Amino acid sequence: MLKVPEHQVAGHIASDGKLGPLVDDEGRFFKPLQGDSRGEHESNFYESFTSNKKVPDHIHRYFPVYHGTQLVEASDGSGKLPHLVLDDVVSGYSNPSVMDVKIGSRTWYPDVSEGYFKKCIKKDRETTTVSLGFRVSGFKIFDHQESSFWRAEKKLVLGYNADGARLALRKFVSSNSPADSNLTPPNCAFASEVYGGSNGILVQLLELKDWFETQTLYHFNSCSILMIYENESILMKGGDDDDVQAARAQVKLVDFAHVLDGNGVIDHNFLGGLCSFIKFIKDILLSVDKRHETETSPLENGN
Amino acid sequence: MQLKVPEHQVAGHIAKDGKPGPLVDDKGRFFKPLQGDSRGENEVKFYESFSTNTEVPDHIRRFFPVYHGTQAVEGSDGATMIVLENLLADYSKPSVMDVKMGSRTWYPEASEEYVQKCLKKDTGTTTVSAGFRISGFEVYDHKESSFWKPERKLLRGLKVDGARLTLRKFVSSNSLSDMGSKPDSAFVSSVYGGSNGVLTQLLELKTWFENQTLYHFNSCSILMVYENESILKGNDGDARPQVKLVDFAHVMDGNGVIDHNFLGGLCSFINFIRDILQSPDESAES
Repeated sequence: MLKVPEHQVAGHIASDGKLGPLVDDEGRFFKPLQGDSRGEHESNFYESFTSNKKVPDHIHRYFPVYHGTQLVEASDGSGKLPHLVLDDVVSGYSNPSVMDVKIGSRTWYPDVSEGYFKKCIKKDRETTTVSLGFRVSGFKIFDHQESSFWRAEKKLVLGYNADGARLALRKFVSSNSPADSNLTPPNCAFASEVYGGSNGILVQLLELKDWFETQTLYHFNSCSILMIYENESILMKGGDDDDVQAARAQVKLVDFAHVLDGNGVIDHNFLGGLCSFIKFIKDILLSVDKRHETETSPLENGN
Repeated sequence: MQLKVPEHQVAGHIAKDGKPGPLVDDKGRFFKPLQGDSRGENEVKFYESFSTNTEVPDHIRRFFPVYHGTQAVEGSDGATMIVLENLLADYSKPSVMDVKMGSRTWYPEASEEYVQKCLKKDTGTTTVSAGFRISGFEVYDHKESSFWKPERKLLRGLKVDGARLTLRKFVSSNSLSDMGSKPDSAFVSSVYGGSNGVLTQLLELKTWFENQTLYHFNSCSILMVYENESILKGNDGDARPQVKLVDFAHVMDGNGVIDHNFLGGLCSFINFIRDILQSPDESAES
C-alpha cells in the first residue's frame, strides 16, 4: 500500500488532487516523473549515474539508490503514471530531523528558456542563493520539549537572509523548542553529534567537496543536499559515545531534474555553494567548541 | 619623474581620447587613475583596508600588488592616481594573461543597470560556463621573436574549448597567431608546474579562499606573468611565474561569508591548468 511520505520537507507534496511522491512499507520512494521532460531527464541521470564507472565507490553513498521506473497509481487520482523508484532515504530512521538545502549561487544554467531563467534569477536574488551560494528550502525538526515534529514555514524559510540561514542551521541541531526561538537562542545541543565527529555531516560534506573539485561528469543544477539524523537515540541519551553513532547523520544529494553533462568542466556553481555551506557548518561547530571551553574552564577563585 | 605608458598591459582601461590611462615610472611604480563613479574610491578603500588588515596571513600578501597610497600626477589634469607596485618591473620579456574570476561579475550591492550589463557579458562568455573568462593576454612568440596580443573581440567570443586552447598557447613557443596550429606547450612545466609554479600558487590562494570572509573580490582578475628572457637563454627553470590578484574597484565586505563566487571560478581554473599539465598535447578530455 502506498502512502504520502511523512518526512518530506521540500518539493511537491502528494495530497488529494496534488501530484507528489509516495512511499511503500518496504523502504521505497516513488517519485512521479515530472512533466515537460524534467522527469525523463531525472531518470536519464539516474540511469547514467548508476552505471557510470567513473564515479568512485565511496561517492555512491551520497545518492539515493535507483530501482528503475514503474507505473504507479498517482496521488492526485489521475491514474497510473510512470514513477521513479528510489530507496527512501529516511526509511531507516524512526524520528528523523530533515533539512533540504539547495546548493549553488544560481539555480539557472546556460541554454534555459528566457522564462525559466527570469523565474530562477528572481528567486535566487530574493533568497540567500546569490549571497551565500545556497538556500534552505525547508526543514523539520523533532521538538524534544513537545515530543512532536516542528516544520519550518515555507514562506519564512524563503525569506531568510544570511542570519536567518545561520539560525536555521543552529535550530536544526538544538533541543530547545524551535517555536520559542525568538526568546531563547538555539542551544546547538546536538551540533557535535550531528555536524561533528568522524562520521558527521561535516566529514561527509568534505568528502563530497573533494570529489567536486575534480569531477567533470555532471553539473548538478538546482540540486539539493538533504541532511538527516535520528532523534530516537538522542531521546534515550545516556550521555556516552554511543550517541555519536546513533545520531546517524547522513548527507544525500537529491533532485536531478536539471542535471547536465559536465563537458570537461567542474561544477563550479555547486562547488562554490558547497564550500560556503561547509564554512557555515564549521563556524557553528567552532562556536560550540568555544562555548564548551568557557563553560568548563576553572573558576577564577577556585571552587 | 618620467612617466610613460606601460608596455605590457593586457586588459582594463588604457589611455584613450584624452581619458587618462595607467602610467609607470622607472622606479617600479604603477600609477592607476581613479575610475569614476566611486569605483576608484572603492579600490582605494580596499587597498587601504587590505594593507593594514592583520587578519590577512603574511604568505597571502605576495598575491597582491603592494600599495603606495594615492598621488596627484602632473600631465593627467591633476587627476588622483593610485600608486601601486609595477608587477612587471622585474621582467624584461614578460608573457602576461588576465583572467577574470567568478561565474558572475555582478554582485548583490550593484545597481540594476550594472547587474544587467554584467549578466549579458557573463552569459555570452565562459564566465557562466567555466567560472572564469580570459580578459586579455600578451605572449612572447619564440618563433617570431616578437610579442603577440590577440584582438579583444577574439577573446570575448571564446568558448570553453577556446579558453583551454588559449591557456595552452600561453605556455607554448610556436606560431601563436596562427589559430589553426597546435600549441606545443613547451613551457608548461616551468610555468604552470613545479614547486613555485602557477598551479602551486593557485592552490595556496584556494586554501585561503576556503576560509577567508574578509572580502568578496567581485570582478577581480588573476594576472599570470612569466619571464621569456631566461627561456631564450636556455634557462627554462628561471621563468619566475607569478600569480597576482588585480582590479579591486568592486570589492565588498565579506560579512562572515566566504567568496564562493571567486572560489568556484578559481577551482574551475585550477582544474583547467591541471588538465593541461597532465596532458599537454591532448585537447579536452571527453
